[in-house]
Amino acid sequence: MKYEVCIDIGGTFTDCLVADQNGNISIFKAPTTPGEFEKGFIDVLQVAAAGYGLSTLEFIGQISLIVHGSTVSTNALVERKTVRVGLILNQGHKDMLVFREGPRKGAFEWKLDYPEPYVPQNLTCTVPGRIDARGNVLTPLDEQAVRDAARHFRAAGVEAVAVGLLWSVVNPAHELRVAEILTRELDGIPVTLSHEINPMPREYKRVIAAAIDASIRPIVQTYIRRLEDALRDNRFAGELLLANCVGGMMPVAEMLAKPIFSVMSGPTLAPMAALALSDAPDIIVGDMGGTTFDVSALRDHQVIITPDSMIHDDHLGIPKVDVRSVGAGGGSIARVDEGGLLHVGPHSAGARPGPACYGKGGTEPTVTDANTVLGIVDPDYFLGGKMRLDLEAAKTALQKVADPLGITIDEAAWSIYTTANHNMVSAIEEITVREGINPRDSYFVCGGGATAIHIAEMVDILGLKHYMIPRYMAGLSAYGGLISDIVREDNAVFLTSDAAFDAEGASAALATLVERGVAFLDGAKVARDKRTFEFAFRGRYEYQSFEIEVPFEAPDGRITQDMLPAMVEAFHKMHERIYSIRSDSDIVEFTAWKSRAIGQRDGKRLLDRQSLPERKGSVPPRSRRGVYLGPCDDRQTLPVFNLEDLGRGSVLQGPCLVEGGTFTAYLKKDHEGVLDGQGNLCVEVGPASEKGNRK
Amino acid sequence: MTRHYNASAEAERRIDPFMISVLKSRFEAIVREMSLVVMRASRSAVIKNARDFSCAILTYEHELVSVEDALPIHVMSMETATRPLTEFFDDIEEGDVFLNNCPFTGGTHHADMIMAMPVFIDGTPRFWAVALSHHADTGAPTPSTYLPFAKTIFEEGLHFPCVRVVRKGKVLEDVLRIGSMRNRVPELWLGDIRAQMGACRTGTRRIQELCGRYGEETVLDFVSDWFDYGARSASAAIAKLPKGSYTYNIMHDPVPGVAEDGIPVNLTIHVDPEAGEITVDARDNIDCVKAGLNLSKNTATGSCRIGVFNNLDSNVPHNEGAKSRVKVLLRKGSVAGEPIHPVGTSVATTNVNDRLIIAGNAIFSRMGAPYGQAEGGSHQPAGIGVVSGIDPSKNGRTYVNQIFVGYSAGGANHGHDGWLTYCGPANGGLIQLDSIEVDESMYPIVIEERGIVKDSQGIGEFEGAPAAYGVFRPVGHDMTLVYAADGTTFVPRGVLGGGDGTGSTSVRLDPDGSRIDLPAIAEEVIPDGSKVYFTACGGAGYGDPSKRDPKRVAASVNRGWMSRQRAEAAYDVVLVDGDQPGLVKVDHDATVRIRASR
Repeated sequence: MKYEVCIDIGGTFTDCLVADQNGNISIFKAPTTPGEFEKGFIDVLQVAAAGYGLSTLEFIGQISLIVHGSTVSTNALVERKTVRVGLILNQGHKDMLVFREGPRKGAFEWKLDYPEPYVPQNLTCTVPGRIDARGNVLTPLDEQAVRDAARHFRAAGVEAVAVGLLWSVVNPAHELRVAEILTRELDGIPVTLSHEINPMPREYKRVIAAAIDASIRPIVQTYIRRLEDALRDNRFAGELLLANCVGGMMPVAEMLAKPIFSVMSGPTLAPMAALALSDAPDIIVGDMGGTTFDVSALRDHQVIITPDSMIHDDHLGIPKVDVRSVGAGGGSIARVDEGGLLHVGPHSAGARPGPACYGKGGTEPTVTDANTVLGIVDPDYFLGGKMRLDLEAAKTALQKVADPLGITIDEAAWSIYTTANHNMVSAIEEITVREGINPRDSYFVCGGGATAIHIAEMVDILGLKHYMIPRYMAGLSAYGGLISDIVREDNAVFLTSDAAFDAEGASAALATLVERGVAFLDGAKVARDKRTFEFAFRGRYEYQSFEIEVPFEAPDGRITQDMLPAMVEAFHKMHERIYSIRSDSDIVEFTAWKSRAIGQRDGKRLLDRQSLPERKGSVPPRSRRGVYLGPCDDRQTLPVFNLEDLGRGSVLQGPCLVEGGTFTAYLKKDHEGVLDGQGNLCVEVGPASEKGNRK
Repeated sequence: MTRHYNASAEAERRIDPFMISVLKSRFEAIVREMSLVVMRASRSAVIKNARDFSCAILTYEHELVSVEDALPIHVMSMETATRPLTEFFDDIEEGDVFLNNCPFTGGTHHADMIMAMPVFIDGTPRFWAVALSHHADTGAPTPSTYLPFAKTIFEEGLHFPCVRVVRKGKVLEDVLRIGSMRNRVPELWLGDIRAQMGACRTGTRRIQELCGRYGEETVLDFVSDWFDYGARSASAAIAKLPKGSYTYNIMHDPVPGVAEDGIPVNLTIHVDPEAGEITVDARDNIDCVKAGLNLSKNTATGSCRIGVFNNLDSNVPHNEGAKSRVKVLLRKGSVAGEPIHPVGTSVATTNVNDRLIIAGNAIFSRMGAPYGQAEGGSHQPAGIGVVSGIDPSKNGRTYVNQIFVGYSAGGANHGHDGWLTYCGPANGGLIQLDSIEVDESMYPIVIEERGIVKDSQGIGEFEGAPAAYGVFRPVGHDMTLVYAADGTTFVPRGVLGGGDGTGSTSVRLDPDGSRIDLPAIAEEVIPDGSKVYFTACGGAGYGDPSKRDPKRVAASVNRGWMSRQRAEAAYDVVLVDGDQPGLVKVDHDATVRIRASR
């Protein structure tokens, strides 16, 4: 068993990163194959096998572990190609998914229609039967009503059913009974129960998670089974782990039971990569693609999970790694409004027609057009020369911005570039300030093909002092799955408070988590000495509704009474850090307990073995080109370096440009980059960074 | 200092255009962060769950710079709440925090605690960071924050008429003790006040960081440019409207013992497209009533502006520059104007105030299509009443809070049907609906039903949103319910041929099966065993129903919001069975024939 593999299925490409037994990493790509994603999965393994000079069977037979992230369920959701779902709710609450908790809208925005519910009215059935907040049965379940609903679902061609009954999280008897009846009446059609998929007392979020889960369940199950079949046909004998949306991995059986956890599983691997690439406590990860800029953050070297992610007009319901998208990609369109204000995005020219400079019929000015006009992007060396860009078309498009603002084409390009930078900066600030991270003290790790064009300016606006352009930036997610530890996140609800702290109860909750974590690590065949556990609790002041997560130490996985003062103080500190206030005299409530079972993958060891030949000091540039860098300056001539010419310890002084096969990077004046042993460009920012931009 | 807001396209630009976008986003992000602090750190449900709070940044000269996700009624006249601070105090220092909930010193009404913190940059005060929260209780004689029959302030909750609560960073606990002592739920009140302090401190720190990074002069120049941009955008939007003067009249429901025939609200606007200005005149209204229904200067001013901004492009920034294009005329001593001490203003943010905003929304329909909005539902049905009592499951502890089980629906406008989760015009559709499970875990109540009332919307080329209804009951105790369901008598009216929405109803269902109609405005005790049934208002329609797109007709039926019978009769549309059980689709040929024959 020689190889470890991560495969990330993206919108366009299926990325495959392989580590051999010597720790050497290689990257392979094959086109994504929508509709039969498992084909692209095997295709890319074939490409990799060829790369190692092996037959596909020989190669796959020697793989010990595959970590897999995909957009299978995300695509289905985003493109609304989910299956027909039937929904069962309590009598008297048929409109739960219509009301939501009141969808968000702008205060003065009335030119909009109210969003349709996730499950239409004709596929929503209600049944008598009611349980109260303490779990008592107020009205018994009407089983005949459930059978009637099943009959209706069959006639309507429903392919999966979600069940969302009030207080099932306290007493699941009615939901379980409904599932029994439906399974019998509907020949084993998949049924999602709200209390199983998302055990939280807040019905809309629990039930919408169940409905979303049901709507992708057959799709995910079919995909995973086909994938398993394909791997078995190719004599795969290793372990398959699936990345999930909470920053961990799941064995196949668990993902089959909770497919909603596969949503956005690919992009959540990017912050995992950053975890392994840097030891910095607070890290920002930015991934700029064609239409969006995705940003995530790590606090105290931990991935941040959000409870508030959205799919179209609905909450996802379950927590998810906080990856935010803003409409700021290479294809984002610039326009000037009536008041004379420049906007960039969120509308995008997409891949088709794409930016004007692609020459595929696009006429609107985009960020890539601006970057080409500025000279940062070389029209003759785009994607390592695989595509030529039309500079004149870019200039013509930019006229649409230059004319209304009364500025030159270069100034227009600079304005678009700068506005896009600031849009991304706003997204970064939103995720960081919200989580109590000071962006100025953070480290930045670039992902995706376009980020390195913009990073230098963004870093100066944010006041960051250092950032990294990783060697595998263009496939950062797959890289993350390859080098990051095997992690399983788990949590258990157990309510107690510092007024009457139940250490035993909390300890028991933690013990359950440890037990499940051990089973997971056993399954993944992680050696005993490579196992660690991390713990956190969710806490709040009495009467608050929103908890904050607070890490704590429990060396032997037990909680004792004498740990309480330190835990309470950690809570006060975290509360003050996030909200600027602490209330020392108020009761602190503990609501849930979290664990991370970690199997160390020796990602660091893998990294350390990746060593480039040394080539210290400065390196001669391959060429020079003129770049427009703002209204104060004339076009400057910058040296252009090629990544292939660099070795470990090579130093690059900004201002300069760096060309890689999959990206272009721009380093500003006072930015100094040093190539590390793994080929990552680590940039430090000098003291004389610019401030403000006054006319 | 009086600043001129230059709406001219040739106005001097002080900083680069992209820096305006940048700093605009920065200020918005700061206000968003302040709002998150209030929502997540607060204790009472009306704030943390329903989001009845707002944050804003003003200049130290009381000009509105930025709001985000704020309730319109809280912020469109925020300056009236901070201006008295610089009049009363000549010793404002860094680290001070002030509290104002007094309608006679610029507050909205007694339950909205407006907290303001001066933001000093290098020793000079430059901005105000403001956080407003609607508190669960302010110690009024009855357990509610809405007292329609409170004739004077002596029958309301406690007033803090611009009171310093933090002095140079040190919390004045003695002053806060005045508030917590006169409160039914003092721990909640203090926790909520602290959350507001957290928001003000956060806002202050972020603005200081912003000035540190970009330079104070750049930020101040931005503010001037940003206001000019607001003036320019509002002016351009007003320039597209038809010139003229328009009038609209509307009635608040009868209030027993106060206004037996209801309270008329009259509004006139003068639209001057060449000048890019609108004047809103609310002076032609009756004197203050002997009740809590009078508006405060803050809410009357804000409401006159809200109607206008609801009818302009929503991209117009809601800052001081934009506000400068809307002139408001009020009369001192009028029910919809400026109250004279000590008249009651306990419900100054809803009820008569809602009617004033509804008039402001609908008055634009006098210009003909595509302008204006149909009337939306008014406040405040029993579904958002204040519930209180003794919780038998919590050792007899008192509970009191406003619940948001179901509220009024929105009226239609040209191009769009009404917004379902509207919650009255003052809130802009931003108040969240309560989670049934959260309510049932916090209070000893069971919410048996909550849903949509079929056929309750006003028809039209664009339809009002249908009404919400609900059934809830106390568990093991007698529950007090306080509400003021305007819209029971005078229902939302359609415009330009659109139909009316249905009104509010409030009913008690007793164990013996009887249905007792409750008064529209009441403080009712619901005995253990009885239930409350309510409906909120349905929204009214906009435009000629016969012009409604048949696809929209079928969609209303398929959504379960309208019966097939009513749809076919009201819209001259022929519907046939659809592709799935329970769905209909349009028979286009038959529909064309029927519509042609009318």
